[in-house]
Amino acid sequence: MTPVTANAPKPSKTKKAPEPAVALPGGYAGKLLRVDLTTRKCWAEPWGSRMRELLGGAGLGAMLLYRETAKRGGKGNVAWDDPDNRLVLATGPLAGLPVWGTGGLTVCTIGAGTNGPTSTQANGFFGTNLKYSGWDAIVVQGQARDWVYLYINDDTVELRDAKFLVGKDTWETQDALCRVTGLAGHQLSVYSIGPAGEHLVRFAAIQGDYGHVASKNGTGAVMGKKRLKAVAIVRGTKALRAVDPRGVLQAADDIAHDLRTDPSARSLYEYGTLPGVGNLSKLGVLPIRNYTTNLTANVPGADMADWEAPRLRANFDHRGHQCNACGMHHCHMSVIQKGAHKGRIVDEPEYEGWSGCGWQIGAVDRDGIAWLATECDRACVDVNEFGWITGWVMECMEKGYITRAQLGFDLTWGDIPGAGRLLRMISRREGFGAVLAEGVKRAAEQLGSPAKDCAVYIVKGATPRGHDHRGRWDEMLDTCTSSTATMETGNPVHPTEVGQPARINIFDGVQVAKNVAGLAGRRSFEDSLGICIFTTRTRLENVCRALGAATGWTFTVDEAIRFGRRTAAINRATALRCGHAGALEYPSVRYGSTPVDGPAKGQAVRDQWETMLDTWYAEVGYDRKTGKPWPKTLKALGLDWLARDLWGKKA
Amino acid sequence: MRVLAIHPEKCTGCLRCELACSYVQTGEFQPAKSVIRVSPFEGHTSYAPYTCTQCAEGWCMTACPVGAITINAAGAKDVLDDRCVGCKLCTIACPYGTMFYDPGTRKAFKCNLCGGAPACAEACPTAAITYEETWTGDWLGDFAHERTARILEIR
Repeated sequence: MTPVTANAPKPSKTKKAPEPAVALPGGYAGKLLRVDLTTRKCWAEPWGSRMRELLGGAGLGAMLLYRETAKRGGKGNVAWDDPDNRLVLATGPLAGLPVWGTGGLTVCTIGAGTNGPTSTQANGFFGTNLKYSGWDAIVVQGQARDWVYLYINDDTVELRDAKFLVGKDTWETQDALCRVTGLAGHQLSVYSIGPAGEHLVRFAAIQGDYGHVASKNGTGAVMGKKRLKAVAIVRGTKALRAVDPRGVLQAADDIAHDLRTDPSARSLYEYGTLPGVGNLSKLGVLPIRNYTTNLTANVPGADMADWEAPRLRANFDHRGHQCNACGMHHCHMSVIQKGAHKGRIVDEPEYEGWSGCGWQIGAVDRDGIAWLATECDRACVDVNEFGWITGWVMECMEKGYITRAQLGFDLTWGDIPGAGRLLRMISRREGFGAVLAEGVKRAAEQLGSPAKDCAVYIVKGATPRGHDHRGRWDEMLDTCTSSTATMETGNPVHPTEVGQPARINIFDGVQVAKNVAGLAGRRSFEDSLGICIFTTRTRLENVCRALGAATGWTFTVDEAIRFGRRTAAINRATALRCGHAGALEYPSVRYGSTPVDGPAKGQAVRDQWETMLDTWYAEVGYDRKTGKPWPKTLKALGLDWLARDLWGKKA
Repeated sequence: MRVLAIHPEKCTGCLRCELACSYVQTGEFQPAKSVIRVSPFEGHTSYAPYTCTQCAEGWCMTACPVGAITINAAGAKDVLDDRCVGCKLCTIACPYGTMFYDPGTRKAFKCNLCGGAPACAEACPTAAITYEETWTGDWLGDFAHERTARILEIR
């Protein structure tokens, strides 16, 4: 296979104006790497004039999807499996700098779950290695004839034969690529797909650097459809310049101090997301046995003392496994100490691993859950949707809606080996696994009621994070109204900084909707910087200061929020083009049901859903009937061009 | 004397030391020019930073044909740029692999303890690198001996 080297801009056949020469802001590498798998061409695209407008990550991805995934010569959008779909692997201006957690990767594409836009984040060293190689983002289009992987080593960019990697899981793929390149550790960052991506499972993820996952909306299926098995980036040799390096270091120190000492961030600093199990169970937000109960005591063998973060971590031989420049004690590698998988190296599960491969499927064997969650990563299956589909199958078998004859074996609550068998069936589309590989919504619709009524999903085709949102209405509303198939506004971080109340009544639909709308913007901004969502759990002002010192721009909190809302509006426009009308913004029957026990017992979100939607639409300035942002909303965000696109002369 | 002591069991592989080192040594963030490097072990469950131990033997100094390597005020072996002719003999002589050559400047470069305030130790969030008073620069010998004994015992 002939290597392709991208060292010059591709000669343009169109009359598009050339990129104006501008001084490069600090923090950026300066080029986008364009890869066309169909023609096997790679080329460099300077983008200096658009950096302030798009930043990187989610902001850059949203604009690329809007501009480049419209159907040629007609209305509508290209589907997730169309060669014209774009797979944007973007980082941002803070990646590679010494702010904690700055190895960031944001994946933007038309995803296989909703067949609409997505923006999903992972970390590790992808962003760092990419930036030191001289690139800010990779934009993949087309479809390869045979399996390839993308190799980047500074200016050398090659599409290499990946036949020897086919069938390997994501960890095996990274091991194999380390062997063939002779590199070890963070000298090579690899993001790849496992068997689930190869078999186009609708909730396949992209996994990298042993345990980091861009998991939402079937990004792995998009990569599989393009026959791109992996992206391997050598830790580049180029320099990154910050306009004010001391300012970056000072802002980084302030952020680190805040994360270490602020009560709301400290447990995250010490234990990552492990405390989530105990904390969320007390709020009725831990999903237990597919939303059939909210009482941990209903799971045989459950002892909540075992689930306190220090004991959960101490159950394993463990070591820190942090992302670029990160001082958090969050990501860990663990070794299982006992049981069937004794001696196995696993990635310490996040809260969502413990819930999706544990409580949601009625399992509390911590060693088994850690093994299963890592198997999901290795197969490149989104651990959340795996939990929803496995719990659903377990409940349906218990109730007789799915039979042993259909599935091929008995699967009961808490059966981790059985869940592992199901994972293999799904990720290779074997037997009934082919039905389940279509994702919770499509599988439930195929089986119909009463099985369908037990399934947890959003009508749009996505599934929630590993929570019971019947006790967390803000995230249910956010996930259902989002244009990116996962929460778009995110959880409150210092809400008073952006004029929102410190606390609200979480079961008052109007307050919830106003809060979700009022907090909009921050998350899309953070996801555009190449930094981890957890290390930005500080005052936004600190993050803006780091960005300003890196780039040389004066970036205020107001501008950050405005930027994020602009990104959300552009994603909304793409989602509408994909046919995501308001009718899809509803929870499934089970997802929107009323808890029968536990702390949120009797709180009925569905009774207030229409009011919540009405309030949210009015507050964000979108039209409830058409789903479109109003012209005045778009103009206030500086998106006059989008107002004209969406509303024509009415704008 | 004070030397950099490495505590590999505390390292999480975040590579913050490489960033800090390159910034102090070059003024830019460029880990390729860092003189401290982090290596993974045991299936990515372990990491260890590694840099010049300022060894007592000073093989680099001995090998240098032009006397370009000297001992600075902090007690570190340091390359004098205006004397270094870029012959790379020191990179061959160093048994620890901690002498580097920069094709851009055509000079050798190495850890000079940042003149007495090592940036890597300052930047490490888990105190896996500390700047300590010790009786010998060859602290690694003891570590290696203990480690080897332990591994032989396991076998």
